[in-house]
Amino acid sequence: MALARFVSPLLVMVCLCSAQAGHPTKTPIPAISSVEATVHVIETPWNATPACSHAFVAHRLDFVHGTRLREINTYISNGAGVAVNDLDNDGDLDLVFASVDGQSTILWNEGGLRFTPETLDARFTRGVAAVDVDGDGWTDIVFTHRGLEPPSFWRNVGSNSRAPRFERHTLPGVDHYAYAMAWGDLNGDGALDLVTGSYGAELKQHGILRPENEPKAGVFLYLQKHGTWESHRLDKRAETLSIAILDLTSDGRPEIWAANDFALEDKVWTYHEGQWKEIRPFDQTSHSTMTIEWGDIDNSGRLALFTTDMNPYDTSPRNLARWLPVINHLGEYRAPGDVQIMANVLLLPGRDGRWSNQAVARGVDASGWSWAAKFGDLDQDGYLDLYVVNGMIAADLFGHLPNGELVEENQAYRNQGDGRFAAVPHWRLNSSASGRGMTMADLDGDGDLDIVVNNLRSFAQIFENQLCTGESIQVDLTWSHSPNPHAVGAQVTLYTHRGAYRRDVRASGGYLSGDPTRLHFGFPAGTRLDALEVQWPDGAISTLQKPTPNRRIHIVREQPEIAYGATK
Amino acid sequence: MTHTTLSTAPRFNLQESFPLIRLLHPKQYAWAVGLSLAVGLTVSWIIVAAGIAPLWAATALTLVILLPAGFFKWRDDYRRYGRTLMLLSILLTAQGLHTIEHLIQWTQYHILYWTMRQSNGLLSPANAEWVHFVWNWLVLIVVLLLLSGGIRNVWMWLLLVVAAFHAVEHTYTFIRYQLILRELTAMDILNVTAQGLPGIVGRDGWLARSEWTRGTWICSIPGLTTAVRLDVHFWWNAIEMTLLGIAGHIALRRRMQSLQLD
Repeated sequence: MALARFVSPLLVMVCLCSAQAGHPTKTPIPAISSVEATVHVIETPWNATPACSHAFVAHRLDFVHGTRLREINTYISNGAGVAVNDLDNDGDLDLVFASVDGQSTILWNEGGLRFTPETLDARFTRGVAAVDVDGDGWTDIVFTHRGLEPPSFWRNVGSNSRAPRFERHTLPGVDHYAYAMAWGDLNGDGALDLVTGSYGAELKQHGILRPENEPKAGVFLYLQKHGTWESHRLDKRAETLSIAILDLTSDGRPEIWAANDFALEDKVWTYHEGQWKEIRPFDQTSHSTMTIEWGDIDNSGRLALFTTDMNPYDTSPRNLARWLPVINHLGEYRAPGDVQIMANVLLLPGRDGRWSNQAVARGVDASGWSWAAKFGDLDQDGYLDLYVVNGMIAADLFGHLPNGELVEENQAYRNQGDGRFAAVPHWRLNSSASGRGMTMADLDGDGDLDIVVNNLRSFAQIFENQLCTGESIQVDLTWSHSPNPHAVGAQVTLYTHRGAYRRDVRASGGYLSGDPTRLHFGFPAGTRLDALEVQWPDGAISTLQKPTPNRRIHIVREQPEIAYGATK
Repeated sequence: MTHTTLSTAPRFNLQESFPLIRLLHPKQYAWAVGLSLAVGLTVSWIIVAAGIAPLWAATALTLVILLPAGFFKWRDDYRRYGRTLMLLSILLTAQGLHTIEHLIQWTQYHILYWTMRQSNGLLSPANAEWVHFVWNWLVLIVVLLLLSGGIRNVWMWLLLVVAAFHAVEHTYTFIRYQLILRELTAMDILNVTAQGLPGIVGRDGWLARSEWTRGTWICSIPGLTTAVRLDVHFWWNAIEMTLLGIAGHIALRRRMQSLQLD
């Protein structure tokens, strides 16, 4: 049926010429109608052959933070993020690490999991996003910072030499305190907008005793207009650890979801009648929501939303004794209508449009003192798996433990094919370093998803995927002549004879981290690929018939936006 | 020893239709029960208001003050109806009081929105693990005695099953409580409570976390792996009380009919 849908005579068949290793090919796809976008396609085969140990192999990276401080306390303990994207447009995904106690660092990807570090004079950073802010085709870097600083913008000026140079610039109008951030086109004008949230608990440590009375604190929406930023305060109260921009109401427009720590409930805003209004679409949310992640976990076309919290995965008496002094200290807040629960939450939509929690039923309600979580098809069986990093270092909380550290093992869950998850310790992703920021990307160019983690007080790690199962394609979108050149917000669907796999292009994600704009689709070997459909942020559609497996497919749209409003 | 019957009046009356009420009625000791309750509540209120003792101690004191009246009432039950019905009378009374404890906890949590740690009822702050461990094994033993004493119907057998599972649940939580206390002591942490942690069923319980059941259909059964401990034990108790009431009612009705036939 999916095939029939895409053999429409209106669509132009794409002749994918036989590509030779390392030699991209170009194939034009003319525009068909007002809602179809002209694109051309560049295909590149994998540039590496995967090593196969049927597990992940951990590699230590040349970056560490949190070691310059004699002792880690709250909220240094919250660590920092990592962003992945192609900063020099060489096809390899580079890494940017934020640091709570020193300079941030770029690790330039030299291929073969070799990286060259370059420090960036961005200090005491928290969140990081690698996103093309100014739409010049070069990916920039934006950090949030510890303390009383607004986000800093590091403009990629481009370069003909291998490494581009980053210059510190300002984002005019973006001058409020920020801990978490998210990027997306929120007003449909084509340019990327920014949402930030401050962290009241940390502001108090910096002398702002009542953050809700501080004009620079809260959740802010910044709309980008001709290089300047128009700010709107969505909420004066914020303990925001993660922000998501995604369509929760299936109306074709994104909502803003700010995930808050402590007893402050998560907030969701939707654009309605000219203004952003708060809604409460969830039956349950995490109490101290650390991260927000989403994906189509059962290939049904409906999103699942996942949030992390503090809940021990190991309920042995020995482990509970390590947790109890802190749990008793943290206490619990309850009020009428409060929907918070101190556990991971996996929300799925019901027929009435409400989202209900199925984390327990699907086996992902407890993953320790959890921070970043990410869906990704790690074993390339066509279903999104889940990885969660965890652990805590805080002498003022865990003084009863050696070095004030709650040592936990990161948790990997394999999707069993029906949206239920089972722990897979044999994948050897159970690092006991104290992970904070994390994301997934193909860092060695062999086609599968690797994982990169920014640990606190331990070296950053890459977990090289050596499962050697299934096949994949990866998709890069380029939207030339657009202020959003990587098409952040685009929806991409791969139609196969096994079902449809959906992904969306993001510039930021999870806990303080930045996802690559390159999309990964895994599927079992032998899967027939029928079509790849791109829904661009303006609503225009491009369709690629019968994409070839095991290729990186770069889809370039030359046409500027043609359909904003008309197609939405 | 001769035992009187619970029968028989030709016209409808509440105690005839519901013989449990007749069994539980304090009869000539009503004044003693009422006086004891009044004294107990007054003394408790004074010592709690004056900060002399915590609420759980005041509650325990009230129960102790009520005990002599109860003793005489149950001795009367023994003389009138025999050992088995006396045990039924004791169990119904005690389980009823225990139900009040759970109702108070439920109210604290769901109506007053107290935290789980605060929603401790009246007596449980003493030590919820010891209180419930001892209490539920006593219930199981008394149910076995009632069965051996002749109260055998399907409801009593169901009660035996539920009480047995409930005792197992509390044994599990009690053992874990002791193990966690040992771990805390080893870390030189003496001021942290390990009470109120999940058991076999309910949120974060063994069923929710076991590698055999985690993420299976079992975890899709409403409440089985998602209900908080307070709700789990409220329902354990409510089910036990209901089964005990039905089993006792049927047993007493049968006893009345057999005596009438005699």
